[in-house]
Amino acid sequence: MQSRWDIGEPEAPTINKETEQLKSELLTLNMGPQHPATHGVLRIEIWTDSEIVAHAIPHLGYLHRCMEKHSENMDYRGVIPYVDRLDYLAAMNMEWGYVMAVEKMLGTEVPRRAELLRIVTAELQRIASHLMAFGTYAIDLGAFSPFLYAFDMREKILRIFEEVSGARLLYNYIWIGGLWNDYTDDQITRVSAFCDEMLVEAQKYHELLSMNKIFIERTANVGVFSLQDCFDYGATGPILRGSGYKWDLRKNKPYSLYSEFDFDVPVGTGEIGQPGDCWNRYIVRMREVVESVKIIRQAIAKLEPGSVMGKVPKIIKLPKGEVYVRSECPRGELGIHLVSQGESKVPYRLKVKSPCFTHVSMLPRVAPGQMIADFVATVGSIDIVLGEVDR
Amino acid sequence: MSTATTESVREYFADMINGVVTTLKGMWITSKYVWGVTPVSIEYPEVREVLPERSRMRLFNDVQNCISCTQCAMACPVDCIYIASEKMPEGSEIKKTSNGQPIRLLLTQFVIDTALCCYCGLCTTVCPTECLTHSHDYEFSQYTIDGMKYDYLAPDVIAWRDRIVKT
Repeated sequence: MQSRWDIGEPEAPTINKETEQLKSELLTLNMGPQHPATHGVLRIEIWTDSEIVAHAIPHLGYLHRCMEKHSENMDYRGVIPYVDRLDYLAAMNMEWGYVMAVEKMLGTEVPRRAELLRIVTAELQRIASHLMAFGTYAIDLGAFSPFLYAFDMREKILRIFEEVSGARLLYNYIWIGGLWNDYTDDQITRVSAFCDEMLVEAQKYHELLSMNKIFIERTANVGVFSLQDCFDYGATGPILRGSGYKWDLRKNKPYSLYSEFDFDVPVGTGEIGQPGDCWNRYIVRMREVVESVKIIRQAIAKLEPGSVMGKVPKIIKLPKGEVYVRSECPRGELGIHLVSQGESKVPYRLKVKSPCFTHVSMLPRVAPGQMIADFVATVGSIDIVLGEVDR
Repeated sequence: MSTATTESVREYFADMINGVVTTLKGMWITSKYVWGVTPVSIEYPEVREVLPERSRMRLFNDVQNCISCTQCAMACPVDCIYIASEKMPEGSEIKKTSNGQPIRLLLTQFVIDTALCCYCGLCTTVCPTECLTHSHDYEFSQYTIDGMKYDYLAPDVIAWRDRIVKT
């Protein structure tokens, strides 16, 4: 019986008659760690036969910072800056995942206003992260101008975050028990104004890139992750949804107040290309932006004045036990496994299950038989952040 | 000509027209930015952005208000704050901080390694006298890494106080 984890021998690349006689041996090529198309310090060793990839092996660890080990010597509040640096493009979502785990063990009541503002913040961060994915993916495929539009909009989100939390990228804003600061009325107004603007911009992005013939030719039917592969490897987030499976933790296993919200879960339907290809993964992200705008508007409508910080002891000591908390991040499902020995100010163990790690491990599965240029498109479409892969 | 060939010829030209039309659409959107859109980038050295109130830039400790409680050093996740203090000499009068707390220890060293600092802001939130704050200075590059260590008891650093501390 074939093992579940066995991906088998790499399939022989398709070679036409003329080149078969010329073939001598496979050429080993290193993509990265400085290659701009790898979105960080990922090295992919690819064995190519002329232009066709025979096998691809991702090499990780260039951004390994021992975050899990470090956090074992850190009090529970001090871990938050480290968790920020996991996925530095969606730091708010990372913080929220960790903070939820601590709050679950501590049994803290988070005020309603804080929960709603967390949702606003997390969804804004999701938009910012997807805009980054959109812009850099366009750059991977040789289109430069979408990147500039995306950064123009992303800058507005970062500006709001800077005013609210004080930092632009690594916020330390979501605290155990609530939030560091409250949004002012002016900032809330600006968030709603941003939402209106974002919908107009999203339409523009579709005209600019999504429906562009060249873009479709580059992405449709390229790098197809079948649904079975996604289940086997444990893919989550836009990768799984792009393959046509409707799974979103915010909808299926609602945490926080997400059960009160009305939104859709976009999936790749294969209107262009087929479910699971690069175009469908891309379009799922772009549609999630619109859904996030919906959630933000509903959350703002529900906002009531009140405190944003619950009652938390000055020195946090968790009871003995362990907890596993999942949350939906822009790149997939973040899992935080927190173990406490009790009577201690520091975690005994903090294990992070990162979504990008599983997605990178899927690359050797789809790489054989692709052209190198298509492989670049595939790597771009899974939208990896290496901070999270290596930890 | 068979219908299959007609179909493929039609498809060929339809693809071509589609390619031209969608590309022109994108170029039209881009060309709208040539006139009438204000630039979003800031010409940095000449034009400076006004930072928001809560911005977290270089740390500043107002040593006149520091009571050497070392809470900031304990809260720091990267251990970049070095504090040393000793007993007040006999018979010296006990000063008070601006919010009325007595200063019982003589601060002999207060150094922050800004190269290590991760600007998380945890130290400023635990400070009981609110003497440790994030200032809005962001231009402090140095030639050596030792230059990033700021001794807040040094006279030149204390002189920043007039500029930074709001009274």
